Amino acid sequence: MKRIKKFFQSNNLVTLVWGIGLIIVWEIGAFIIEGSKRSPENVLPHLYQIVASVFSDKLVSNNQTAIQIVMSNAGITLFRAGIGFVIGAAVGFLLALMMNLVKGVEKTIFPYLMIIQMIPILGMAPIVLAITKDINKSRIVIAAILTFYPVATNTLAGFKSVDPQKHELMYSIAASKFEIYRKLLIPSSIPYLFTGLKIAAPMAITASILVDTLQGGGGLGCMLSQSLRHAMSIYVFWQIVFVSAIIGILSYYLMSVIEKLVSPYKRAKIKG
Amino acid sequence: MLAIDYLDKRLKKKDTVSNGDAVSTDIEISIRNLNVSFPDKDGGEPVNALQNINLDIKQGEFISLLGPSGCGKTTLLRTIADLQQPTSGEISVRGLSPREIRLQKKYGIVFQNPVLYDWRTVRRNVCMPMELMGIPKKDRTARVTKMLELVGLMEFGKKYPHELSGGMQQRVGIARALAIKPEILLMDEPFSALDEFTKEKLHEDLLRIWKKTNKTILFVTHNIQEAVFLSDRVVVLSPHPGRVSAVVDIELERPRSLEIKNTPEFNEMVVKVRKSFESVY
Repeated sequence: MKRIKKFFQSNNLVTLVWGIGLIIVWEIGAFIIEGSKRSPENVLPHLYQIVASVFSDKLVSNNQTAIQIVMSNAGITLFRAGIGFVIGAAVGFLLALMMNLVKGVEKTIFPYLMIIQMIPILGMAPIVLAITKDINKSRIVIAAILTFYPVATNTLAGFKSVDPQKHELMYSIAASKFEIYRKLLIPSSIPYLFTGLKIAAPMAITASILVDTLQGGGGLGCMLSQSLRHAMSIYVFWQIVFVSAIIGILSYYLMSVIEKLVSPYKRAKIKG
Repeated sequence: MLAIDYLDKRLKKKDTVSNGDAVSTDIEISIRNLNVSFPDKDGGEPVNALQNINLDIKQGEFISLLGPSGCGKTTLLRTIADLQQPTSGEISVRGLSPREIRLQKKYGIVFQNPVLYDWRTVRRNVCMPMELMGIPKKDRTARVTKMLELVGLMEFGKKYPHELSGGMQQRVGIARALAIKPEILLMDEPFSALDEFTKEKLHEDLLRIWKKTNKTILFVTHNIQEAVFLSDRVVVLSPHPGRVSAVVDIELERPRSLEIKNTPEFNEMVVKVRKSFESVY
């Protein structure tokens, strides 16, 4: 009884209701579209069909099964998004450090950096492509651009929200600027940095997939548009949609896991 | 009566006043004609936080700065700690300026909040100032152990600050302040956020630690009983502008235990301090 009670009080119930609700809506849609019979292949397959397609051995193209295509392209996309994310995070962190270290940098640079964030990805992509002259490089660059801003703002907020008394404590024992950064500012900004990283990780992947759709060269987005145009298999399309969603969510959780690894005091909080 | 008159009286009395054998009569901190004012936010006249402060603090003395909020007691402590600059006047600590003493890392400061680094364990919090001093790791470890023993937190070294109670956190703050072997311990209302029971326990602990380490302690408080129980002398400050209105010698025997609070002598001292307040208002 206790367990059941606990279950109903927890968030699990909400998640369950949401899950069931979405499945019902999906299946109603699938039945309606199936009934209309306007397209040769069922555009909106039933969920069980999509799941089955993941495990089917049927070759779709180039001697590859649907899931093999999806996974190899997911690897390509993740690789690009990952490199862009790491570069963007590093640039964002260093920028926050600069803005905090040198007075005036924040006022002169920061408001204009925000403008970059306002440009839609698809508007930015041709500009970046014109500069880098390589679609793969521009995919990485765009992932980096989308990453650096949330990382920079959050880290800067972290530097600024340090308890002034902690500063005074460092001052009272005559700590150097370098020591203050190393022992106080950087460690205390870590939770803020990770807030930025958690926002940025799914964004970098989304950006990477979106820019994939513009040209060839592999990647989830690229396959997504191909699967629609060449009617490769509707299941490839849907698998890509789900895999994209899943890796976006997983990228967020990956950041949470890394955060817990680098800040053990947070684990202590959960324990007791 | 002017603060300087009190000072003169006290200086004349100096030879007759005895604070026990442990206390020498060497002047450690000497404050002369100290003024501190803050610029007014609306551009008006600067606000006088401290006006014409004169005070001598002896080596090894436990001295309290007592007064209502706004009397500048914290400002005085901060000025001695070089966290605040005087507008005029002079502070000399062992013949040096507060800044020089700070750069020599001779101050240990305990704030009202424990100000612990929540990403560091208790041990590593106590260790932190020693890291900045470049003390070798082996010596640091030994010293941390000694400090935790002193404040009675031996079993909690591996805990994180948020896993401790408020009183324990404040003990960590004290251990950290003492770890660098400061000459002067500056405490800014360190126990005011704690409950009465924890506070009394820490009072006894602090006196024990003081006796053991023989530091000069400057203790800011707004609690008369606390000031009387702990101090050799209580410096009574009054507000607007902040000035010394009395310096009361606490002639109670040491070592003191909590029982002393029930004695008529203790109450007499409390009354004496309170009266020196009332004469101000």
